[in-house]
Amino acid sequence: MKTLLLGLGNPILTDDGVGVLVVEQVRSRLPEDTPIDITEVSVGGLTLMETMIGYDRVILVDAYQRLDGCCPGKVHKMTLDDLRLISPTQHSASPHDASLVTALETGRRMGLQLPQDITIFAIEVENVMEFSVNPTPSVAAVIPQVTEAVLNEITQ
Amino acid sequence: MDEEGDVKNTYLQIPELRGFEQFCVGRPAEEMPRITNRICGVCPEAHHMAGTKALDVMYGVEPSSAVKKIREMFYSAFYVTDHTTHFYALGGPDFVVGPEAPAAERNILGVIHKVGVDIGKQVIDTRIRNHHVIKIVGGRGVHPVAGIPGGWSKAITAEEQEEFKEICQKNVDFALFSLKVFDDIVLANQEYVDLILADTFAHRTYYMGTVDENNFVNFYDGMIRVTDPEGKEFEKYEAKDYADHVSERVESWSYLKFPYLKNVGWNGFTDGMDSGVYCATPLSRLNASDGMATPKAQEAFEKFYETLGSKKVNGRYEPVHQRLATHWARLVELLYAAERMQELVNDPEITDPDVRPVVTNTPAEGVGSVEAPRGTLTHHYWSDENGILTKVNLIVGTTNNNAPITMSVKKAAKELITKGTVVTDGLLNKIEMAFRNYDPCMSCATHSLPGQMPLEVTIRDADGKEVERLSQFTD
Repeated sequence: MKTLLLGLGNPILTDDGVGVLVVEQVRSRLPEDTPIDITEVSVGGLTLMETMIGYDRVILVDAYQRLDGCCPGKVHKMTLDDLRLISPTQHSASPHDASLVTALETGRRMGLQLPQDITIFAIEVENVMEFSVNPTPSVAAVIPQVTEAVLNEITQ
Repeated sequence: MDEEGDVKNTYLQIPELRGFEQFCVGRPAEEMPRITNRICGVCPEAHHMAGTKALDVMYGVEPSSAVKKIREMFYSAFYVTDHTTHFYALGGPDFVVGPEAPAAERNILGVIHKVGVDIGKQVIDTRIRNHHVIKIVGGRGVHPVAGIPGGWSKAITAEEQEEFKEICQKNVDFALFSLKVFDDIVLANQEYVDLILADTFAHRTYYMGTVDENNFVNFYDGMIRVTDPEGKEFEKYEAKDYADHVSERVESWSYLKFPYLKNVGWNGFTDGMDSGVYCATPLSRLNASDGMATPKAQEAFEKFYETLGSKKVNGRYEPVHQRLATHWARLVELLYAAERMQELVNDPEITDPDVRPVVTNTPAEGVGSVEAPRGTLTHHYWSDENGILTKVNLIVGTTNNNAPITMSVKKAAKELITKGTVVTDGLLNKIEMAFRNYDPCMSCATHSLPGQMPLEVTIRDADGKEVERLSQFTD
């Protein structure tokens, strides 16, 4: 099964880069011959969907911004269905791009080979408005735990 | 609202990312093209290019003609992907599906449903083949790394050139096809034409764009030209002199600043000759230029103005002020980008291997500017003699348009809120349409989950009391 591990986020926007940091940790812990592609991008929507073309399975690690600001550092393991619930396809409200859910749906309708199996590790964040390479303490604290969870997911 | 319940004023508030300058100061200037391309997930290539051009000046290395051609070719590939995406995925829901269509259909899926899966495939293919060019030439997909002071870190091989030639032909065909889609679906429908020409989103402002030596649109390099609301050239200057021409207005209610033309002055959120409000978008670039530098795009340019009823005055078309025409202008630019890319790929110099000049000058200060898809983008860096940054200033594409966007939102609100009656159904949609044609870059919405922009409208009465709050994606 062709697998992609994808760290998503802006590595210079405080907590937004947490997905990238987790993926870097995972990379350093995996044996080099592990049959998996690992990459990181700071994009969403169609471009994100396009990076998934040709893979059977994708593990995505991303920052999760809740507007109520609840629980920075809380980790959610989600499926695409869970994401659909918090990100309806009803509207093209992102000013630039489709949401990931809409983008994947679009890609499937085009007949693109997209993964059936998408696992998302979403880490609730506190600060994605200020430039810094360092996440806030509550988010930084969960990086080892998410790294373990991703490693487990890969070897499953 | 005022005492009568009519709209008195609107305030567009967008949270701003903070601390960029502090983040940059103390870092080596040569890292800037790679740092700034992370500012937003929407136009990394534009920031990479403006940053690289600022380094050219800072290190005093004039790029060779081959380097300029490689950069412009790369940049044209980026324009092809970006404009394609905007038209089909973002503008499409307003035009192709229609402004009155049910919310559930007003997205890219609705567009594909209307135009057919085959066209949808062409859109994705266009993106993929041009992202391939960007990856090969830029050294990395999505976030390019190839820009260096006065140069480009890798040359293009003859094999790559051959491959790119095929890609370019497909791009030109696709751009022509997209203009035909616009003809068939939008221009053939009188309701849509009326919508474009309606006064709802018309603002008689100044326009800004980068032009070449013939005053034709150029995305990569040239002089900054500003034309007045009647279409006459108001000023033309080198990018490095931007601070003599553009000032930024601070309003207590907004995190964002509002740039305006210094030599006209700030006269509030209003249009006309006496207001320094200007606009920098695809429509603005067409209005500020005398035409397009490639033949098919020039034809499309002429058709654009003729169809929208613009007359030629002293050899120049009168400006089109209707903001919804921006979607069409974007397609004219798409064709230009495709044709320009083809010219450059076919240029023998594009495979010149000598692309990495030796840098010997002591760095100090540099301004770099390009036309980002959503407006003139300026990077200004200052460093010490070791090239360590001491100060940074950026005017990003969308920022130019903060005042016009605010004005368009006000017009939309005025139409839908009268005498205390709020048309809730169409309000959010109309406000979205008002700002979507500017394709504003609110980068904070693009990467963290759930990946959709929260939009909230609060309506207050004359005493400041909240009477209604409409929202989407804010939970």
